[in-house]
Amino acid sequence: MTVAPATLRLIDRGDLIAALYRAAARKVTIISAPAGSGKTSLIRAWADRPGGPHRLAVVAVQRDQHDVQLFWLALLDAVRQATGAAGDAEPAAATPEFNARAMVDRVLLELADARGGLTLVIEDLHELASPAALAQLTRLLTNLPPGVHAIVSTRHDLRLRLHRLRLAGELSDIRASDLRFSERETRELLDATGIALSEAGAAVLHQRTEGWAAGLRLAVISLAGHPDPERFVAEFSGSERTVAEYLLAEMLDRQRGDVQRLLLRTCLLDRVNGELADLLTGRPGSERILLDLEDANAFVVSLDPERTWFRYHHLFADLLRLELRRRRPREVPELHRRAAGWFIQHGQVVDAIRHTQAAGDWPGAARLLADHSFSLTLDGQEQTMQSLVRAFPPGADHPELALVRAMGDLSQGHLDEAAAHLAVAENYAETAPPDRRRRLRVAIAALRLRLARRRGHLAGVIEQVKFLDFPLTGQSDEDIALGSDLRAVALLNLGTVEAWSGLPDAERHLREGADLAREAGRPYLEVHCLAQLGFASKVRPFATTRRRCREAIVLADRHGWGAEPVIAPALISLSGALVFTGEFDEAERCLQRTEQALQTDTGPDIRLLLHMVGGMLHACRGRHQQALEEFSAAEQLRSQLEGSPATASQVTGWLLATQARLGRPGEARALLAALDDERAGSGEIRNARAAICLAEGDPAWALGAVQDVLDGTVPVIGYVTVVEAQLLGGLAHRELGDHRAAGQAAERALALAEPDRLVLPFAMTGSRELLEALPRHETAHAALLTEILDIIHGSSAAARDWSSLPPAEELSPGELRVLRYLPTNLARVEIASELSLSRNTVSTHIRSIYAKLGVSDRSSAVRRARSLRLLSAGRTR
Amino acid sequence: MGGMDPGPVLYTIRIDGHLGATVLSAFPALVPQRRGAHTVLTGLLDQSALYGVLAEIEALGLNLLEVSQHTPHRESPPPGDGRSP
Repeated sequence: MTVAPATLRLIDRGDLIAALYRAAARKVTIISAPAGSGKTSLIRAWADRPGGPHRLAVVAVQRDQHDVQLFWLALLDAVRQATGAAGDAEPAAATPEFNARAMVDRVLLELADARGGLTLVIEDLHELASPAALAQLTRLLTNLPPGVHAIVSTRHDLRLRLHRLRLAGELSDIRASDLRFSERETRELLDATGIALSEAGAAVLHQRTEGWAAGLRLAVISLAGHPDPERFVAEFSGSERTVAEYLLAEMLDRQRGDVQRLLLRTCLLDRVNGELADLLTGRPGSERILLDLEDANAFVVSLDPERTWFRYHHLFADLLRLELRRRRPREVPELHRRAAGWFIQHGQVVDAIRHTQAAGDWPGAARLLADHSFSLTLDGQEQTMQSLVRAFPPGADHPELALVRAMGDLSQGHLDEAAAHLAVAENYAETAPPDRRRRLRVAIAALRLRLARRRGHLAGVIEQVKFLDFPLTGQSDEDIALGSDLRAVALLNLGTVEAWSGLPDAERHLREGADLAREAGRPYLEVHCLAQLGFASKVRPFATTRRRCREAIVLADRHGWGAEPVIAPALISLSGALVFTGEFDEAERCLQRTEQALQTDTGPDIRLLLHMVGGMLHACRGRHQQALEEFSAAEQLRSQLEGSPATASQVTGWLLATQARLGRPGEARALLAALDDERAGSGEIRNARAAICLAEGDPAWALGAVQDVLDGTVPVIGYVTVVEAQLLGGLAHRELGDHRAAGQAAERALALAEPDRLVLPFAMTGSRELLEALPRHETAHAALLTEILDIIHGSSAAARDWSSLPPAEELSPGELRVLRYLPTNLARVEIASELSLSRNTVSTHIRSIYAKLGVSDRSSAVRRARSLRLLSAGRTR
Repeated sequence: MGGMDPGPVLYTIRIDGHLGATVLSAFPALVPQRRGAHTVLTGLLDQSALYGVLAEIEALGLNLLEVSQHTPHRESPPPGDGRSP
């Protein structure tokens, strides 16, 4: 490089920086100006000034960023680095499923933690090719916590809905005219870089470039060491060519041959390092050139502190690419191919596929994508894969891509479409050469497995697991790694479907899967296994289920997946366990969290559980109409599943009983008559029959219906069914006027319920009067009895006041999580460790909770929260 | 007009300065002509091609002066007759 070590930062653009200081005092500053206007330089100069801004979190949107998840993860990481929170948690990692809304909540939570203020800088936002992401970003920008500011740079105005901020005087703009160099600044720049140019020459240069930063920058590079600067400026001003093109050509011509060669041959890459540049230029020494270029501020910037990776300024790269295509069009595909080869060798599959596509090798790109689809999914690159699929030219469909399309369908819960695409993929695999056929079959089997699991189809799962268990006899390291990933995936799916079918090996398989995933460094798979283990624990005491679910949720939160579909099985199982033990308010919040986590997932399996637990909660609170809707929705989804889940008769039974309690025993009878003998003979349906008889005013028949359940001669899902039968029997005795028998039945129900502190059947069957009639001194379970009655009273009060509840948005999800611990005697630091948060975060939340509830200490916060029913009344865990 | 894209229509796009061969190679579908200190690009574009061209103009830091459409009903032929050197 023939350039003096000059940088634009050498001159102090004090007025402009002062303007940014003024602007940045507002909540949000938008710097909107065309390419090369000096947006980034301004932000850097502002940030580097001594006594300048406090902490900065900087994220630059990658070129043509389609993967919204990667954008948000980069933003979250930048914020965590800036707040120093990065050490407290696992690094944010992409997951196969993604919930943008929850991600914004997380970023806001981290920002709220930033003491002493922070400025969030988002550069090149115009590259973010997603309207949905802009909507979420609007939410972020309009909800920045106190002390947090944002600066956004973009080439053009974006569809951010920020009028509210503008009206509040919290939005400021910096535009191209503000960024333009003044004549005085142009003069100062020339002086600072040691360029001897007359006053008139400087004025002409300023006029010709119109103060455009990129133009001046290019001019300075060419002028430095130029034998006749006056002539250069005169020729430039005499030319009608556009500023950038003229100056780029001048600048390139003045470079040494090896520098020219490097610039032209590496400009196709979004980022380049010395080794890759050597490969593309066919010569050593590229790293030195790149470092020199950056030192000369020649549109090259390093991307890491060690200065190993570099990228070109976008405008500069675009011009170089055009120049390359014009001068050496035939080299372009070969350069892409070489780059693709390097990326694949270094395990950077996505870059390799992009360059293979750019080389025009569509079949090759399709092969690469299909071959790596399994590990890309596990790495959370789902959106990136789908954007790669979209980049293929329309019409020329490659059968390899059916596999990738099936993956997209599956993660969105579109099971029929997934099956159709899988069938195409299978046909294709059989025509592939033997070495690839094996890999494709493995990927297909993994998808078949996931599909069968989502459909609750046990036989299908076992068949695929058998295939996956022995296909890889370990040829390469890659195959071995793939092998343990696959085994973990196989165990996950097998265990899940076993849990679903109520089989005993479920817990063992899921635990093995979690262990294997941990060893293989796949935390996402581990969380997935543990979440399903929470679900599989439903036959255990509720305390065990709760503990396991909470463990899985804590681990998921630590990785930032606490609102992702992956954790939904643990959330829903926890909600269910909480309903069973009468903690309705907490169950409701947990259920809401599950719903949020399932926003992007419409699969019938998990949604069935969501409706079932929702129905349980409503039924326990005496809201039978809502309960009926939920149970009906669950029943509807059950019919979409191939295998019959273990809980099937339970959903049906509660649906029938709820119809009866709503005074519609006729409808319940009609459904009952349509059941096959096996289902009709189950304990759960017997109980439903009893509920119908009671609604029909026929208690003697009700007694007959529950008799076999009480005798233990019909199959039941668990002891809950027996407790329910006792209570239904008790209610029937009461109707018949036999108060002694009624009391005995209630006492037997309490005895069964005692070890687990089970509440649900008492609330659901409407056994309040039955329990109230039971003399306290005659029961061995007075404490439980009192507790159950308290809960039933509380929930009927809640049912009455339902409409007057304050909006749930009042406290943030993070604050609600902390609030839960306020009734306990845990100290802040202990709460922090329970929730895997920093102590500071917990303190911030508590301050915010106090402010929102209008209280000044912990005990009044608890009282106020209870009166608002944010906490369950009078119970601590 | 609104709703569906009516298909390719003749557009002229005026840009400040003379575009050289490098920058012109970014617009292979358009015919360039010099008009004083400006360059006029002419060609048949549908809506998405038009937005693609505008994005390219933005990316290359060019100064866009005017975009106009010539509907086929009008009599006036595309201005000019030759290609720029």
